[in-house]
Amino acid sequence: MEALKLEGVVKQYGDKTAVNGITLGVEPGEIYGLLGANGAGKTTTMRMVLGLIYPDGGTIRYKGKPYSSELQSIMGYLPEERGLYPKVKVSEQINYLARLRGMSASDADKSLRYWLDRFEVPDYYNKKIEELSKGNQQKMGFIAAVVHKPQILILDEAFSGLDPVNVELLKDTVRELRDQGTSILFSTHRMEHVEELCRHITILDRSNTVVQGDLREIKKGYPREEVLLRTPGEVTGLDRISGVTAVERQERGYLVRISEIGAAQRILGQAMEQGEVEHFEIKEPTLNQIFIRVVGESHE
Amino acid sequence: MNKMGTIIGFTFKNKVRTKSFLVTTLILVLLLSIGMNIPYFIKVFKGEDGSGSASSPGVHIAVIAENGSRAAQLLQTYAQQPGTGATVVPYASADDPGLKKALSDGKVDGYLTLTEQEGTGLGSVVYHSKDDSSEEQSFLRSALQQVNAQLIAGDRLTPQQIAAMNAPVQLGTEKISADGESAQDKSHPLINYVIVYVLLILFFMSIMMTGNMIAAEVTSEKSSRIMEILITSASPLAQMFGKVIGIFLVGLLQIAIIAAAIAANLMLPHNSGVLKDFNLNLGQLSVSLLVYGIILYILGYFLYALMYAAVGSIVSRTEDLGQAVMPIMMLGFVNFYVPLFSISNANTLLIKVTSFIPFTSPLSMLLRIGVGDVAVWEIILSLLLLLVTIFGLGWLAAKIYRTGVLMYGKRPSIKELRKAMKAYKI
Repeated sequence: MEALKLEGVVKQYGDKTAVNGITLGVEPGEIYGLLGANGAGKTTTMRMVLGLIYPDGGTIRYKGKPYSSELQSIMGYLPEERGLYPKVKVSEQINYLARLRGMSASDADKSLRYWLDRFEVPDYYNKKIEELSKGNQQKMGFIAAVVHKPQILILDEAFSGLDPVNVELLKDTVRELRDQGTSILFSTHRMEHVEELCRHITILDRSNTVVQGDLREIKKGYPREEVLLRTPGEVTGLDRISGVTAVERQERGYLVRISEIGAAQRILGQAMEQGEVEHFEIKEPTLNQIFIRVVGESHE
Repeated sequence: MNKMGTIIGFTFKNKVRTKSFLVTTLILVLLLSIGMNIPYFIKVFKGEDGSGSASSPGVHIAVIAENGSRAAQLLQTYAQQPGTGATVVPYASADDPGLKKALSDGKVDGYLTLTEQEGTGLGSVVYHSKDDSSEEQSFLRSALQQVNAQLIAGDRLTPQQIAAMNAPVQLGTEKISADGESAQDKSHPLINYVIVYVLLILFFMSIMMTGNMIAAEVTSEKSSRIMEILITSASPLAQMFGKVIGIFLVGLLQIAIIAAAIAANLMLPHNSGVLKDFNLNLGQLSVSLLVYGIILYILGYFLYALMYAAVGSIVSRTEDLGQAVMPIMMLGFVNFYVPLFSISNANTLLIKVTSFIPFTSPLSMLLRIGVGDVAVWEIILSLLLLLVTIFGLGWLAAKIYRTGVLMYGKRPSIKELRKAMKAYKI
């Protein structure tokens, strides 16, 4: 059974529809990507899932059951603007939050120490949040979201503002949680993170669902439009091949845009006639390209 | 309930450890200790000042009179009566070197010149001194009054008659109740006035300070967005009441510290005399007044705390908080100043009215219980009204809180708030 199931969920603020009939399901042990431009309705959707606001229509089911206060102990949430008490020690506030979510004081402390060790910052235990850098504050926010071992984890822009090393660290952690069976609803602007982590995605645009489904299936649905060609020497006449719309000279080869897939073989033929070919690839569209195509220019 | 305990503990622990709490409490204790010892300090300084003067404190006056001046003799006799604490020394003239020396040594506070006419009493009287204290003035006024009477009466009245003449008239009061029967007058011991005064100030300060603490705490949780995590961890109702109770304990702790400081200061040996001087008897301390005081404080605290919590939840930024809590502050001032200014006359219609209005009743009723006339049914009715209001307000505040904590941006209008409140269950 799906750990989390949204069906036709609608939220309206006055005359404005913030979320217009979103339907999605997250399996146990799955990371589900929720994409969209700013103001598309991602955060509103997440808040409805968390029970922070009530949907005006549709249903949300958690393991088949409607929202109840018992869910507070099995859900974890990392808000976009991660909130922690700036003047309170890491240990005190994270233990406090864990205990609010139903953990015993000793379990909470054990779990916090595990996570601090996992992030290689055990000395933050006695530090106040305001003493930490922004990236480290974010790590503490992440710990606060997962310290009580939630079964449903909601991450709103979890990786924003982190350096590449910490992004990798958090990505590994998220994968690990997934492998332990946690259902994760994940929102981001960074398409490459989604491509690495998510199996299913939903792209929202101005409160409507525009693309939804298995990431690989979605990609198959979009034509391949780029050929990457790497050769030691120069290749001429590529732009005269029929079906080629643009040729871009790169450091070690060419990026050729094509309007139909047949042109790819003609490019390869042309290149092989003129010399050795080191690398030839018909690139599948990136999620970034798909996103820009469906959402338009409005995204950041 | 378990979660509420966690919230109460967390709130209490964090607030008590803040610098602002420590500093405010320390300053209050210091100010109180200094204030309570001021009478003693004055005494000490005065004593040191007059170390060269007569050994006993009191009024020391010289009177300029020729030998056989009857007024001077009468004045001397008056001063010799027990309890005046004054001495009157006659000198022949104001130029007497002995007087000059006594004046410069401080053995004499000043000198009196007077003229007398047999049968018509004292003529002009002038008191010459460097700085005439009120103590000297009041002694002279009553002394000269008697001297004058005796001069006029001459030998026609016996000393007993003159004494009787000067004895103050005892004015008894008796209240007439509505049915015409005279009711027993209930006069309140002086200590009640002191207790009511202290409690009024203490409770007002405590309620305002803790109230602002609650509002600031809620707003900062909201602006730091930790609210979103909190709301998904525990019900808003548990959070609001957890916070209100946690800070209530902080306020109670502060009051206990201040009360301990007051008690410790009263225990100091040199202050027991001061208490006696002011005719205060701690034995007259009314336990029921203190018990009512605590009940009224608790109820008053919850009433105001809930309002502060609700307002704190509506505001998104700490900067906007001051403006938003203004109406509550106003209400708090009314609650405080009406009884404070009525302390000498606690039975006015105004106080009767305010002692039943829930927002002003905590302190007004305290005043009436302490130093006014109040029937038990009135107290019970007032407390009941207060309780009902607290429950009503608690429900409303919880609704506002639930709605307010997730509203960001500009302060919502009442219309927007009402609309949003309908959308939420508590």
